[in-house]
Formats: sequence, C-alpha cells, structure tokens
Amino acid sequence: MSNCPCQITRRGFVAGCSAAIASFAGSRFNSLAFASPGTVTNDEVLVVLFLRGGQDGLHFIVPTAGNDRGFYQSLRPNLQIPAAAAQAYSLGSVTGPNGQTAFGFHPAAAPLHPLFQAGKLAIVQACGQAANERSHFDSMNWIELGTPGVDNTASGWLTRHLMTATNLPPNVLVPSMSVGGLQALSQLGSNETINLGSPSDFSLQIGPWRYQEEQRIFLRNLYEADTSWVHQAGLQALDAVDIIELYASNGYTPRPGVVYPDTWFGQNLQTIAQMIKIGVGLRVATLDLGGWDTHENEGDGAGGFFAALLGELAQGLAAFYEDLDVGTPAFTSKLTVVVMSEFGRRAYENPDRGTDHGHGNNLMVLSGNALGGLHGSWPGLAAAQLNQGDVEVTTEFRRVLSEILIRRMGNPAISTIFPGYTGYTPLGVVQGVDLPIDAQPIFSDGFESGGLSGWSSVVNG
Amino acid sequence: MPYPNLPALPQPQSRPSRPPSRPGLFSALAGHFPAGYPAPTGMRRPGKPVAPPGGTSSTVTLPSVAVVALNRMAFGPRPGDIAAFNALGGTDTARLTAYVDQQLSPTSISDTDCDNRIAAATYQTLNKTATQLFQDHHLADPPTWEQRIQPALETELATWMRAVYSKRQLLESMVHFWHNHFSMYAYEFLEGPMWVQVDRDVIRANALGNFRAMLGGIARSQSMLVYLDNFINFADSGVGYSNENFARECLELHCLGATVSYGNTPRNLVPTDGNGVPLGYCQEDVQDLARALTGWTFDIDYIPGQAGTTGQFVYRNDLHSTEAKILLGTQMASGRTAQVDGNQALDILVQHPACGKFIAKKLCRRLVGDFPPQSLVDSAAALFTSQWQAPDQLKQVVRHILLSNEFRTTWGEKIKRPFEIAVSALRASSAELRFYYQIPYPPDYNTWHVDMMDTSGLHYLYEMGNQILFGWHPPNGHPDIRGAWQASSPRVACWRLVNWLVETQQANGTWRLNVIGQTPSGVRSANEIVDFWIDRIYGRALSAFDRDQLVDFMASGHNADLDLPLDTDDATQDRLRSLVALMFMSPEFLWR
Repeated sequence: MSNCPCQITRRGFVAGCSAAIASFAGSRFNSLAFASPGTVTNDEVLVVLFLRGGQDGLHFIVPTAGNDRGFYQSLRPNLQIPAAAAQAYSLGSVTGPNGQTAFGFHPAAAPLHPLFQAGKLAIVQACGQAANERSHFDSMNWIELGTPGVDNTASGWLTRHLMTATNLPPNVLVPSMSVGGLQALSQLGSNETINLGSPSDFSLQIGPWRYQEEQRIFLRNLYEADTSWVHQAGLQALDAVDIIELYASNGYTPRPGVVYPDTWFGQNLQTIAQMIKIGVGLRVATLDLGGWDTHENEGDGAGGFFAALLGELAQGLAAFYEDLDVGTPAFTSKLTVVVMSEFGRRAYENPDRGTDHGHGNNLMVLSGNALGGLHGSWPGLAAAQLNQGDVEVTTEFRRVLSEILIRRMGNPAISTIFPGYTGYTPLGVVQGVDLPIDAQPIFSDGFESGGLSGWSSVVNG
Repeated sequence: MPYPNLPALPQPQSRPSRPPSRPGLFSALAGHFPAGYPAPTGMRRPGKPVAPPGGTSSTVTLPSVAVVALNRMAFGPRPGDIAAFNALGGTDTARLTAYVDQQLSPTSISDTDCDNRIAAATYQTLNKTATQLFQDHHLADPPTWEQRIQPALETELATWMRAVYSKRQLLESMVHFWHNHFSMYAYEFLEGPMWVQVDRDVIRANALGNFRAMLGGIARSQSMLVYLDNFINFADSGVGYSNENFARECLELHCLGATVSYGNTPRNLVPTDGNGVPLGYCQEDVQDLARALTGWTFDIDYIPGQAGTTGQFVYRNDLHSTEAKILLGTQMASGRTAQVDGNQALDILVQHPACGKFIAKKLCRRLVGDFPPQSLVDSAAALFTSQWQAPDQLKQVVRHILLSNEFRTTWGEKIKRPFEIAVSALRASSAELRFYYQIPYPPDYNTWHVDMMDTSGLHYLYEMGNQILFGWHPPNGHPDIRGAWQASSPRVACWRLVNWLVETQQANGTWRLNVIGQTPSGVRSANEIVDFWIDRIYGRALSAFDRDQLVDFMASGHNADLDLPLDTDDATQDRLRSLVALMFMSPEFLWR
C-alpha cells in the first residue's frame, strides 16, 4: 500500500484536466458557452426574495385617496401613514368596489419610486393563496413548495422548474443558488443548487497549509465511495467549493456609486449580482429578508421598526437593479426579481399598535421586462370586503409565477411545477411570449418514483 | 446578526510561528489543479440527476449499541466512553438499560471536571436571580448592548462547555431539544438580559421533569412574554384580547402542531373524536386562548400600573378578559382570574391527545430517526398523555423511547447538525477549549485573550453552518430533519470549522486538539495511526476502501507499516492534524 496522490484512481474522473479547464474558462465571459449548436437556450435570471414574517402590505403600499382611504383610516387609527406622505410617492390609482383608490409608497420605500416610474416595477395587489391559514410556517411551506394546502411535497417549485426546463444548456456551472441561511424550501431537493453565505467564506483553504489540496483529493474520494444521500450531498458541496473558489473568491466591487445596505441582506444581494456578472450560468437565486412579523409597535410613517426594515429592502433592491443595469445587453434585460411574503397582515391594527397575521398581500416584480404598474383586482377595505378582517386574495400567487416561468424563463411545464393548479391565464406583469401549457410533465430522472424521501419536508410538525 | 457589537474576525488566524498560507493551487487565478483532481464541473452536467435519487447507503451498517447510544442520546463519545458503556452489563439490553437509567438521574452523576471548567470560565451572570438579571442587565443606567446580551452570551458559552465536557449527556441533549422546541431569538432587548432565567429555571429545571411545568414556566418567562408579545396582551373592550401572537404559536408550535390546525373553520365544524373532543384547533381557539392569557405579564414600566423595578412575573386581573371562553371544546366559566383561566387553558392543551402525539413525534425524531415508526410515536404519546401530571413524566417518556427496539436498531437515518458535528469532534479529540468572552470586549483586537480569540473564531466559522444556539429568529426552531442540513452551506462551514480547530493553540502554545500528544508512543506507522484514530473518532470499523484512503493519506507514498517521524518532523505532525480533520469531514462521521 504505497500510493502517492497522483496515482489515485478516482471513480468518475473521466475528462482530461486541461481540456476541461479550457472549456470552463470561456464560461466566465459567456453564460451560453455550453449551448449545443442549434439548441434554443434561455439565459434569463429569476431571483426570488422572500420577506419572512408576513409583510404588512397596507403599510407598504398605502391607500391615499378615495373611499378606501377612509376605511383604511378607520381600520388603523394609530398606525396610518399620512396621505400626503405616501402621495409624494404616488403609484397611481385603481378602480375597485368602492370606486377609485389612489395608492402611494410608504416614504421609506422612496428608493423604489424611480423604478416604478420607469415602468420596471409591477405590483400585484391582493395576491396570495386561497388556503385560509394564518400560520407563518404552513403558509411559507405551501408557497415555496408550490402546493397550497400540501406540505409534504418532496421538492420546491424552483427545483421543479429547473428539472423541467428544456431550454437550458446541458452544462451549467452554477444554475441555482440559495444565498444566506439554509437552502430555501423552494429549492428543496435540488441537486444543482449552491447554498452559501458569502463566497469569500466558502473555501477549503483552511487547516494545515501543506495538505489542504491533498486533503481535498481524499475528501472527494471518500464522498465518491458510495451513493448514499449523504455522499451525494457531500459531493455537491465539494463541487460547489471548487467552482466558487475558482471563480468568485476574490471579492466583489459594485458599480461606482451603487450603495447596498450594510447588512446581511445587502451582502447577499451583492453575492447574487457578482454571480450574475461573472457569467457562470446562474438562472435561479433565492434570498430572504426577515423580521416582518410586526405584532407590536410597527411604527407610523415617521419612522420606527417597519420603516427601517422597508428602507433596507428598498435601498437594497434599488442598488441591486442599478448595479446590474450595465453591460451589452444590460444584465437587467435578463433579470426578473420576485418579492413575496407568506401573507399580508390584518387590515385593522391591534391595540399594541401592530398587526396580526392576515391574508392577501402585494407581490412585487422588478424586471427590465416588467409591465410596470398596479395589477390585480383590488378587493376594497370595507368590512364586508375583508376576509376574516384581512385583505381578500383576488390573485393566486401561482398565476404570477406561472406567467414569469412562461414569458421569461420559457418554461411552460406548469402542471409539473404547480401540480393541481389549473385555469392559468397571464395577468400581464412581464413582457414575453405566451406558450401553450405543457400538460405532459417531463421527468428527467426518477423523480416521480418517490425516491426523494430523504429530501422531503423540513417541517417540524 | 447575533453578536452585533462583536468585531468580526477577518479570518481565523494562523499562529505566528507557522508559515503564511501560500497561494493555493485552487486560487481563483490558477489554471492548475493537483494531479488527479478534476477541474470544476458544472453543478448541472449531462448524466447527473437534477434531483437526487435518495435512498440509503448500501454500506451503512448498524454499529454497536454503545455507538448508537453515545451518538443519539449524547453528543458523541469521549475517549473511554465506549469502554465504560460496555462495562455496564453482560448484554446489550443490560448495558443500554444501565446507561439510560444512569443518564436519567443526572444529579447522581459526578460532574466535577465540567463544574470546575465552568467555574474557571468566570461567567458573571449564571447565578443571578431573575430580579438581579432584570436590574443589572436591563435597568442599569442604561446597560450597554454588551451588558444586555451578556446573560444570553454566557448561557450560550456554558451550553457549549457542558455539551463538550459534562458527563450528564442525556440532560444536555434534552436541554438542547427543549430550547429548540421553545425556540426564541435570545440576542434581543429583553430576551438577552433574562436568558439565564429561561435556561436555568425553566428548560434545565424541567427537561427531564414535567411538560406542563415547563410550558407554564415558558409562558411566565420574561423572555417568551416579550418574544411573542403576551406581556402586552390585555383585555380589550372590542375583542377581549389585544395580541394573539403567543396564543397562536403556543397551539401551533408548543403544544398541538400545525397538522391539527383547522384554520378559519368555524368551531362547530371542527371534527371530533369519539369523546366529543375536537381533533384540533381553529382560529376561535387561538382567540380564546389569547383571552385566557390576558394579564399574564411582568413588572416592566411599559405596562400601566407597573413600577418596572423588579421584572417579576405578575397576574394582572385588571387587564384580564373575564368573559366565558371555550378551548378545544372545554367550557371556561366567566368572571375568573388571569391565574385560573390561563392555567386551566394550559392544562387543556397538555391533556389533548394531539399534544402527546406532537411532542412524542418530535422526541422520536430527535432520538431515533427522521421518520420514526408510528407505533413508537403512538406508545410514547399515550404515556405522555396518561402521565401528564407526573413530576417525572418526561423521564418516563424518554426512557420508553430509548429502551425501545427501534432506538437500538436504527442507524443512518439522521445526520449530525452543525452543533453535533462541532461538539462530537471536540469530544472525540479531548479538545481543550474555554468558551470565553471578556466583557466588555477589549477595544483593541491585539489585547484579546487567546481564549476569547478562539471562542470568537469558533463562533465566526460555526455561525455559517446556520445552527446558531438561541439564534434562530422565527419561533419554530432549527429543523431536525436531514433534508434541511445536507445543503452545501452547513456542510462547507463544518469542513472549515474542523480544519481550523486542528490548528489552534492555547496560551501556553499547546494545541487545543492535541492529536500528536494523544497518539500513544507505540503508534507510529500510518496503519497504526489510522486505526488508533478510527477507533477514537468513529468507535467502529470503516469500510476497507475508506480505511485505505486514510492510510494512503497518512502514509503519503511511504510504506504504511513503517514508523513515521511523528515526534520530530513538523510536516508529519501537520499531516496527522490534517488527517484528523479529514476524518471529521468524512461522510461516516455524519451519521447518527
């Protein structure tokens, strides 16, 4: 037994190193490097930002005039944003059951207003799921799994999108990322998602320096020795480290003048911007901004907890868009950002100057291809129009996500991505081509055989 | 961001005596990889499934009962633990029964070494009364942020110390479980100052005791009262309560579970069992529980009529909703006090059959496997419910699970989470760490005590694994199922952590993981070294392939039967450190 490392036989090691490196070097500059000739490929990037805790949509996008302004003031005597303050960031008006209602941003969302005016922001009002549940955890699980009312689905909706997309190249370095925290439930079961915090901390250049590289060779051997789920998951992690170290470990500088919030959220947005710019094939990315569970002391328009968090959100999104609004064509021309939360909050304030768990909420789409403006059917705020005291849901979240999948990502496999969802028609939040819904699920492996038990729900219930 | 004022370490430091890390062959600009190592391949590539096929390993074999027990009801074996376990009896059953009963009586286990270590760590807050905590860390004029979070931080440090060094491993495992069950984010305005109280007086005091007592302690703890807002839940002239946050999570996360939530279904339409008891709860139950708990608050000056000088829990009948209530089908009469109403409500929750099933399933998931057999869950649940008033209810339930056939015959259905990886590595290697912070933090990084530097370094690396103790923001706790922990972020974070650990040194220059010193003098060939450390770290044999890999790494081309210059050669010593880290990184180390 006297093997030196260079003689080790690695299972699965087939390609000559130099050729592989040469082919991947090109990928740094062109994310389409792996497309086979003649293949139609899609290089759109979908970013899903989840606002954990249930964002108070009525505190973000505020009725400023019309009968609903009156209802809003009655519902929220202590918590209302002054009409003039929000009217300064006008979003126009819609016609609902109570006539014309004008809306404006909470002042802390000011950095988003220029994007709205430029038509880059589509806001779907009264969006959500019919399942009538005020639980954070059920609601989040159902949305991220893409199956309202069912929380033992074995994969996330983004996982199923990536599995069914027939317009992606066969080789992609980093098709999917989950940035900050644990891997998002929407990417549950994805075997190609890189889950990381910061790229500079995602390296194995640590430990006794003489043996870092050798250790990695043997580590790979140990994880290739079997096909159990723990071995496979370890290999994914090791592949991810190799890629990130090679392409993204040198830090990142945003465009001059672009200022991200100095927070984890700001860092995570920058990581995604970096990965988009270096051209490693990113198609899907998720991240979170938490802290929206404002049961007390939410704050009014002048400031307070909600305003600070909303300011972080608005500054971050605006910086992200501006940072990517470069290149030929601009990165933003391929970018769609979905901003969603598990539910809205109760229409009326509670005596602790906060709001309890509610129902319908805004869903925001920021994109170079947005059809900007207010969308959806505004249900009104009169008592009889509320659902158990909450804003009603008039648009299913899957309708909006389906439109983005079809029009931007070019993937019409809706019946697989959102099993049980029927009756889709586009709402018109983004530009793009309407494809016929593919009723034939395309399974790229044994997914439907139920072999995903090791990856099933992470719910503690 | 749990340590807001703590200067972040740019990178855990290599010791000055060691050469600086050279630009590795993996550096971003390099076009070369070591011979035999592949260039990065795409996360998507032909022939690779987009989602994993799942299944269990063909090579996972059931280890000895000692290994099972020490990895699932303890944080992994320390040197000598397996032998001590095996000396407890002549059969597996006798050994396991003796060990379980020993561990179920923690006060009967002498814990001098751990006690001495904690005493030497000079924590300042762990023995303060609740009122002292309130006054010193909330009222004191005004406390700095460091003073505010000191009780939470010191509890966290002591938790690490106990997990690594305490002989009362089942108690520590259960404390870990119950903290996660009643999960709170500790590094907050009032949770931080009062954290010692909830850890010591509620979780530790009842972890092997009675669930109803623990639930009551949680509901009255200042930390939970603030975290889920019940301290400002008062009778309101409109709806009879003002904040349903705690009530909802008490039903969903603490007692019954979301699987029996009927949402907004009207109360009279919730299905019932043969005894007329509703199978679950609906929004009306959430609201009536919120009403029953109105006036459960504490002495803090935000509350009208409170001086805010002691922080003591109070029942405020003047802020309590006296109307009649119905909870899970049980009528609660009108005109009663906050104390009577709230306590009856908690009694109702704990006696409901769904509570036993919910808690039993979580305990089985922790102690047995991610998908425990329903028969075991059901029998544990029945015991939980029938013994709901017994002072040793949880001891009985845990004993039932640990002595089940399923406990000793299940292996490889769970993986260690980051805390278990870190702690079991520290235990297997007899690490010397004092988890320690100087409070207030010395402003100049260069004046930090080496123990504080290493605690901080460990925190920095450990945090990226996403299992920060008392640092999970939402109230549902860290997931306890493998699907949540096999992504790349926790995996890579733990790989980094163990590599850093093998390189750190104490103030006197000795290694914290003294792997050289612990390798017996007669163990010097690659074969001997690897076999010694396999026994130490895994407590069981590895596959021939895995063992050969480790021997190849250690021998590095030399004859694996010949002695290596471990006592004199710096490079050989480094190789052994790297080998031990590699073993901690390996798939076999992850199984529970």
